[in-house]
Amino acid sequence: MKRRHLFAGVAGLAASTLLLAACGTGPTPAAAPTPTEDPSGSITFWSSLAGMDKVAEAFNASQDKIKVSFETIPNGANGGYAKLSTAITAGNGPDVATIEYPQLPQFVSNSQVIPLDGLINKAETVEKLTDETKALVQFGEKTYALPYDAAPMLMWYRQDMLAKAGVEVPKTWDEFEQAGKKLKAVAPDSYLASFNPNEVAASAGLAWQAGAKWFGTEGDSWKVGVNDEATQKVASYWQKLIDQKIVKVSQAYSDEWSLDLANSNVVGVLGANWSATGIQKRTEASGQKGQWIAAELPTWGNESGAFYGGSSFNVTKSSKNPAAAAKFVEFLTTSQEAIKARGNTGSAFLAFPGLTPVAQKAYDASYFGNDIYEVFTKAYGTITPGWQWGPNWDITNTALKDAYGKLTTGGTIHDAVDTAQDATVASLKQAGLSVKE
Amino acid sequence: MATQALTTTVRRRGRALAGTGGRTAALFLVPFFAVFAIAMIAPVIYSLVLSFHSQQKSGLGFGEAKTVFVGLENYVQVFQSETFVEGIARLGLYCLIYIPCMVGGAVVFALLLDATVAKARKLFQLLVFLPHAVPGVIAALIWAYLYTPGISPLIQALQGGGIQINFLDAHLVLPSIVNIGVWEWTGYNVIILFTALQAVPREILEAARVDGAGEIRAAISIKFPLILPALSVIMLFTIIGTLQLFTEPSIISKATASVTSTWVPNLWAYDAAFIRHNLNQAAAASIIIAGLAAVLSLAVTRLSSRMNKS
Repeated sequence: MKRRHLFAGVAGLAASTLLLAACGTGPTPAAAPTPTEDPSGSITFWSSLAGMDKVAEAFNASQDKIKVSFETIPNGANGGYAKLSTAITAGNGPDVATIEYPQLPQFVSNSQVIPLDGLINKAETVEKLTDETKALVQFGEKTYALPYDAAPMLMWYRQDMLAKAGVEVPKTWDEFEQAGKKLKAVAPDSYLASFNPNEVAASAGLAWQAGAKWFGTEGDSWKVGVNDEATQKVASYWQKLIDQKIVKVSQAYSDEWSLDLANSNVVGVLGANWSATGIQKRTEASGQKGQWIAAELPTWGNESGAFYGGSSFNVTKSSKNPAAAAKFVEFLTTSQEAIKARGNTGSAFLAFPGLTPVAQKAYDASYFGNDIYEVFTKAYGTITPGWQWGPNWDITNTALKDAYGKLTTGGTIHDAVDTAQDATVASLKQAGLSVKE
Repeated sequence: MATQALTTTVRRRGRALAGTGGRTAALFLVPFFAVFAIAMIAPVIYSLVLSFHSQQKSGLGFGEAKTVFVGLENYVQVFQSETFVEGIARLGLYCLIYIPCMVGGAVVFALLLDATVAKARKLFQLLVFLPHAVPGVIAALIWAYLYTPGISPLIQALQGGGIQINFLDAHLVLPSIVNIGVWEWTGYNVIILFTALQAVPREILEAARVDGAGEIRAAISIKFPLILPALSVIMLFTIIGTLQLFTEPSIISKATASVTSTWVPNLWAYDAAFIRHNLNQAAAASIIIAGLAAVLSLAVTRLSSRMNKS
């Protein structure tokens, strides 16, 4: 309810700007068709998600009006967004693109994706979503994407190591710290988890869970709070964990990180539902089958959670056939066939109701020591409302990532969030945006 | 009559020859200038134009951006950016370590090669050149592997000897990246210098030997001064190359948080263009880098021509 309130507010104040945006954004306003029209033609689709080639094939096989050609692009960390953004600006981008939630507002703000209103059947798509997921793709009163997955943030543990330390799965962050200390007592070289400077979205998730609001709108201005009170609390807590060597500072997905998991140097992973494949791949050869379990994030007292990652599908400004593109986006995000076609590519947890069971069936979760999907569902139910992503996530992302670079040489998370706040505000102001701190 | 006819034909032939010459020259030059204009001049002009403009949004930014002429404001912003200035300083430090190591190493290797017996020479030439045959990205990936704690056999071996070292921490990462550059480029420059050494007249060396100079004395007093022109060419290429430092830090940044996204000016420009989506600022930064390269190249050529004269 609260959530809806906020967005109604945003909608109201941004209405005038957005109206303008809509006029400037539409590629050919005259060609905006109604969902009842039967679009046809060829479209292109870019994604870095595994298995999407098969989904495009399945769509092509299911009908013969629209033909999708698929192209794999690098993921965001490897320049995928730079490629996508440049291509759209140059007018040779794809019709359908894959954009993660944090990056979506900047594509909207740069008018690189078009509103789907009028192109999709809203009653059968967006209207069926939860408020939390809807909030990720709607700005003002417009829908700029259909959400694919809804990725609840989780903590993954080695249950054998927790047992060795004589602790239960931590329910609160306080218990998490205690568990870390006990683990140190029995295995001095082991860390309970790692802190990943290159995964700023994880820091955002932790702050989100604690009730922080890094971005919000106030009147016709952005309100930036990368170092707000809740974030400071989270920063102090994790700094304490780093100082006590309960968590190790290392780059996620680096060789070092992988080796730490395989060698039991690090026995927990701060991740989300999609972490499962990565954990399995890195630890299977070390005989850790059955030892990894998923768990809800420890909390600050009352039930709370956050999203960490997840992608949406969009129709770009460079699309010459938005109607057909929107049709395909509907298929991607709401069709069971699409999920089936993708096959066993990971432990997906999807935003659209009724799809997750299909994904669950396709995924072989036998590697894990508990019912991970049950944990996903629980965590999905506890997302802290009120979070919004800012108009240029990449600025905050790199600023914080860079500031984290000093963590190994005496810097603190506190300093880092302060630096990121300043950098974000300065960059947004340089672009002419109105910003309040 | 006859002479008149003769002179006209001669004149005609002369004119015809000159004409063909011009046309032929044009024929050969046009492709170059066409590509040069499209791939070099046009982008530079485009960047210049971009750098004097700015995309301005207002309010929440969910509207179409307006392009406004801002004069030198982008340049001011670039120079005011702490990270850009830091990047320039870092690059300066990089040059201070890299150029003496690499150029010095190349000179020593080239002189040594020139002094070795003919058979081994070919082999060493190949061995020295080999690292350069590895593409820069691959080289950076290999070194990233060798630098990463926990998986690097190098670090493990050092640990075995009781030495704890992290090549990727904030203090050591710069020398570590210098090392990649030295590894990659020394061999290439050895070949250039070695070729210059081949051109040193043998009679001068023989004269030196007759006068009682040993190999080392001959190398220092005869060979080295004679390859100075080649050395200045190397310096020129090296300085321009260093200003373009990008690949190595961008690969290493995946393995450590010590290399920031604005670590060197080129990374700064990339970050401005593709992360902050400020193409105008990126254009200004690129022009500054290009200007810096021009000034430094000029300084090097001036210096070397003065040295050659004296």
